[in-house]
This record gives sequence, C-alpha cells and structure tokens, in this order.
Amino acid sequence: MKEQSSLESSEIFQLLYAIPDPEVPVITIGELGVLRSVDWVNGQLNITITPTYSGCPAMFAIEAEIKTILKENNITDFKLKTVHFPAWTTDWLSDDAKKKLSEYGIAPPQHSSQIKHLRPDEVSLQCPFCNSDKTHLTSWFGSTACKALYFCDNCRQPFEHFKCHH
Amino acid sequence: MEVNIEQLEKDFQAKIDAGISIEPKDWMPERYRHQLIRMMSQHAHSEVVGMLPEGNWITRAPSLMRKMVLLAKVQDEAGHGLYIYSATETLGISRDEMINQLLTGKAKYSSIFNYPTLNWADMGAIGWLVDGAAIVNQTALAKCSFGPYARAMLRICKEENFHQKQGYQILANMMQGTEAQKQMVQDAVNRFWWPSLMMFGPSDKNSPNSDELMRWKVKLYSNDDLRQRFIDRTVPQAEAIGIKIPDDKLKWNEKTRHYEWGEINWDEFYAVIGGNGPCNRLRMKQRNDAHKNGQWVREAAIAFAEKRKKNKAA
Amino acid sequence: MNKDLFEYTLRLGDTSLILSQRLGEWCGHGPMLEEDIALTNIALDLLGQAKAFLAYAGEIEGKGRNEDVLAFHRDANHFRNLLLTEQPNVDFGFTIIRQLFVSTWQHYLYSELTHATDKNMSALAVKSLKEVNYHLRFASDWTLRLGDGTEESHQRVQAAVNELWNYTGDLFEIDQVDEALLKLGIAADMKKVEASWNKHIRQVLNDATLSVPEINNFMRTGSRKGVHTEYLGFILAEMQFLPRAYPDAKW
Ligand SMILES: [Fe+2]
Ligand SMILES: [Fe+2]
Ligand SMILES: [Zn+2]
Repeated sequence: MKEQSSLESSEIFQLLYAIPDPEVPVITIGELGVLRSVDWVNGQLNITITPTYSGCPAMFAIEAEIKTILKENNITDFKLKTVHFPAWTTDWLSDDAKKKLSEYGIAPPQHSSQIKHLRPDEVSLQCPFCNSDKTHLTSWFGSTACKALYFCDNCRQPFEHFKCHH
Repeated sequence: MEVNIEQLEKDFQAKIDAGISIEPKDWMPERYRHQLIRMMSQHAHSEVVGMLPEGNWITRAPSLMRKMVLLAKVQDEAGHGLYIYSATETLGISRDEMINQLLTGKAKYSSIFNYPTLNWADMGAIGWLVDGAAIVNQTALAKCSFGPYARAMLRICKEENFHQKQGYQILANMMQGTEAQKQMVQDAVNRFWWPSLMMFGPSDKNSPNSDELMRWKVKLYSNDDLRQRFIDRTVPQAEAIGIKIPDDKLKWNEKTRHYEWGEINWDEFYAVIGGNGPCNRLRMKQRNDAHKNGQWVREAAIAFAEKRKKNKAA
Repeated sequence: MNKDLFEYTLRLGDTSLILSQRLGEWCGHGPMLEEDIALTNIALDLLGQAKAFLAYAGEIEGKGRNEDVLAFHRDANHFRNLLLTEQPNVDFGFTIIRQLFVSTWQHYLYSELTHATDKNMSALAVKSLKEVNYHLRFASDWTLRLGDGTEESHQRVQAAVNELWNYTGDLFEIDQVDEALLKLGIAADMKKVEASWNKHIRQVLNDATLSVPEINNFMRTGSRKGVHTEYLGFILAEMQFLPRAYPDAKW
C-alpha cells in the first residue's frame, strides 16, 4: 500500500543521502556512493546499498540507521538490499565530499585517471594541514581499510589519506 | 648569540594562554616536550597493547558480522597507535626508542589492558566502557595545546565513538537474549566497571604533575572531573538495557545533578600500575615475543632496502 | 537449485573464511605495527568476501541456511576451503608464502569469473578482485624482501615454499562441478588459472632468489571432497564454539 508514506522516492533518497558515515562523519553515505537507489515498487520501498570494501564494518551501522529513518517516516514495507555491482570506487566521491575530507584533515583520493603509477609510494599528495606536497607514505594500511598514513615533511606531522580504490 | 630562555618561556606561555596551538617546529620548553612525549607515547602504547585483550576473541567471535566488526575495531586501534607514534616522533624521539621503553617496562600503558577478557560479553564491555572512557579523555585532549596531538584526537575520537556504539550494541543485544547471555553481560560489567573508572588515574589529591600540565593546557580537566563526566553519561546507558552497575553506593544527587559513587580500590589501582595486575606479565610477554619473533623480518626488510639502494647507485 | 553452483560458491567462501581465520590469529602479534595492520586488513577483506559468497551459497541452496549457519554449523568434512588456507601461520615467512600462493590463485580465478554468466558470481568476483590485487602486491613485495633479505630470512622463506608447495596441487583439481559449470560459462577455466599461476609464482620466486621445488608425487589434495588436514578440526572447534555451545542464542 502506497498510503503508508506519502513521500516520493526522491525525497526519501535525500533523507538517506544525508546519513553520516559512522567513522568519518564529515561525509555522508550519499556522497560516499554507498547509497545506490531508492524506489517504490508496487507499494514497497526498495533500497539498495553497496559496501566500500567487502569487510567494511560500517555497513551494519548504516543499515540500522536507514531502518531507523524509515521507521520515523512510517515506512514499514521495505526491502533493504546490499548489491556488489557495480563495485564501489572512490571515483564516485563528489568534489564537495573531497573538499570536506581535506578540511577534516584527511587527504582525499585522487581520481583513478590521475594515477599513473600502480605503486602507492609513488603517489604524491598534498598535506591537508599546510598544503605542502613534500609528503611521504608511512603505511599503506591505517586505521580503517580505506585509509593510508602519510607524513608531511613541511609541517612535520602525520596525516591520513583516503586511498584511491578503483 | 645569547638566547633568553626566560623570554622564550614567557612567549610560549602567552601563546598557550591565547589559545594558539604549539606546532612541532615551534620552540618549546624541554619539560613540555618531555611531558608530551610521555603522554603521547603512553597513549600509543595503550592502543597497541589494547589490541591483545580484544584480539583474543577474533577467532571466537560468534557470528561473521561480529567477527568483522571486532577485526575492524582492533585494526582501528593499531592504526591509532601508528598515527600517535608518528605524531610523537615529531617531538624528537624515535619509534624504536619508544617501543624499547615499552618492552623494558620503562614506559606505561593504560592499566585497563592488564585485565583479562574471559567471555564474549567482554568485547561489548570493553567497547562500551573502555572506549567510552577513552572518548571522555580524548574529547578533552582534542583541545590540548600541541597541534598534531589535538588534531589527531579529533578524528580518532570519531572512531572511538563508533567503537563505543558497537560495544554497547553487543551488550544491548545480549540483554535481550537468553539467560546465559544476560549473565555473561553482567559478569563482564562486574569485572570491567571499576577498572574503567581507574582509567582516569589517581584522585586529584594524589595526582602529581597536574598543575604544570594544566598551565600548559596539556591537561584541561582534572582526573576526578573526567571520571565524573564518564559516570554521569554511562550510568543511564546501563539502566536503559538492564545492566546493574556493581556499586552499592552509586546514586543520583538531585542537588549537584551528578552521580555519587563508592570508593575505588586504590590498592588494586597501584598494584596494577606497579606491574602486578592480573595480566601485566602476560601482556609484556606477548609484546616482547612479537618483537623478538619479528626481529628477523625487520632485519630482512632493512637488508633488502640496502641492497636495492646499492644496486640503484651502481 | 543448482547444486554445482552451490558447491562452487561454497568453495570460494570457505577458502576466504578459513584464510581470514588464520590471519586473524596474527592480530596484535605481527613483526611490526604496519604489517600487523596489513594482515588484519587482509583478514577483514577476506572475511567480507567470505560472508558475501556464503550468503549467496545459502541463497542458491534455498534451505534457509544463511552465511552464519554455513560458517558455524557445518563440520570439517562439509568445508570446501583449500588445504593451503588451513595450514598454520608458523612464522611471518610461512604466512607470506601461503598468502602469495592463495592470493595469486584468487587473482587469476576472479579475473576469469568477472566474465561469469551468473550475474551474482561475476559481481562478487569483480568486487573481490579489486581487494585481492592489494593482497597479492603485499605478499609479492614481502616474498621479495624475505627471499632477498638476509641469510636467515632466505632460509626461512625457502623452507616455507618447500613445505607449502605440497598443497598447491589442491589449487587446481578439477571435478565434475567445475566441468558442469564451465559448460554454463560460470566457472573459471582451471587449466588457464593454473598456467597463469605457475608463471607468476615462478617469476616472483625467481626474483626473490628462491628456488621452485621439484615436482613431487606427494601433493596433498582433497579439499573439493571435504578431506582436510588435521588442522581444520581445531580451527573449527575454536571458531564455532560459541554458536554451538549456545544454540538458542542470537549474537
Ligand atoms: Fe583507539
Ligand atoms: Fe577504540
Ligand atoms: Zn603539512
């Protein structure tokens, strides 16, 4: 029954779009590209999401948050589905989201087309604190699967980098 | 050229009073540097030693989802350790030296990790209470005077928040489960409640270098203030899911708008930080073993890098 | 249901699950913090992949067994993971060589499966492949460092190659499941995977100054039929104990 909610699918999409990422709350699941689609199908709301990395632990929290918001809007007949195709890529991050990451202190991912070398230690990055490009990789794996650890030789402090994944 | 230390110190204090953060390249009193190295390395060590009690349960997590969440959490903690070691190095100490201090027992780490993890609900209790206490501490530290540390705390704290929610969720879920699960939860909280309160350190009347740290805004609130904050925000969470806090004296004071609580067993506290807690020796052995067993790997990496350098030069 | 597809999906899921379980044992005990994190990260990727493959297997089977039931309520003879994945960590060298062998296998296998006619299979293959590429790079880099590092590291890692080589025949066994699915365009052509695997492994070992063991007739196989080494029973005893001890509990 469509009566259960008078919200258009696009309105619900916007509501869910704004859910913050549980670990990097300056960006939303919409900006990240985790939220894929929201559609009414014969009175049932179909929502699809896709994980960043297969082992991303945030997916469970995101699912719970989606359910909470649907409940708040009296949407009880829904199907929340995780899809794996097309596979998530950092190329989906909007410029706006990248700017927010940088302001938060995390060097954003470069677009995959800009990465000529496969080796991460050859990727030169700008320090999110002082904008210097005198930086180097400390560890390809940081806290959370999506981040690497770098060091800025100019302002002499570590910073995190949201790795390009494509 | 004569450098006037007194003037430098004056300027330094003026900067701190004005709320301007101190950066690695700025001049700072040796004692400030020393205190920060002590605090930050202790923090990094805590993240790393803290991997052990939770790491215990990765292979035994009861569902794939819980296993995934736990693995990711422990990885986060390792990442925090790595980040903070790196930030501490900017103060002029190498990671090798810090690790050496840990392995020889010269450096401390949070006393909470000297308690054992005995049942699955401990994973919930640690996330809820230990990460919860860490959040209270780190939210304060995010305003500390040393820029790199404050900035690190800001982001790390968001991740600790996530851990705390996940821990709480483990417990909330078990409290709706079978009798056996509820017992596990209560048992875990009984064991972790008091040690969590001890995480804030000795009571203010026995806290040695507090004044200086406060003046430098390395520390912003007293141990007892932070402990109070933790208790006030945690007790209602316990009540919400039917957990009993193991303290008969615990009660809400309508006048002060704070909880009152019983006395911490300070003998236990000093025993644990003195190296005689239930798991001190085990944790040190585990860290030392990992270091020893990794020696040949680190040597190989260095030897390989040197060979490559030579080849490139040739 | 397509029994072959169920079986095939189970193999992929179990392989990732058991290797993840082994890697999880390293957590907190790595030779340095960076590698500790890396191993945990790989464990996490594999666990995520395992969960997705097992969930899909449960769906294909259609008997209401979800990924958790499959992971925690089957005995060893019903597991289909590669024998390599259940071999103990021993030391960092063994762990790296085991990872090199399995990640290389997964790399070529998933590359093939990205073209699978089964949509879910190809989606999971594309997703997993991206992550496996990092695992493979990590394992290859370390094989190089250890092989061409010090005298001790060379010896240790050569010992690992010699020992684990006995389980590599198991990677390429073909049975009627593979044959049936290959006809449907779902399974990977194992002959192709084997050729690519051999080429890459020989290249890496050679670059790392390591020698490739002689072909021997003591290849241990059997994972396709659920005949495992003694290690798997212990892994499962540890992994499954909570759901088995408390069958009514939800976690
Ligand atoms: Fe942490
Ligand atoms: Fe944490
Ligand atoms: Zn910088």
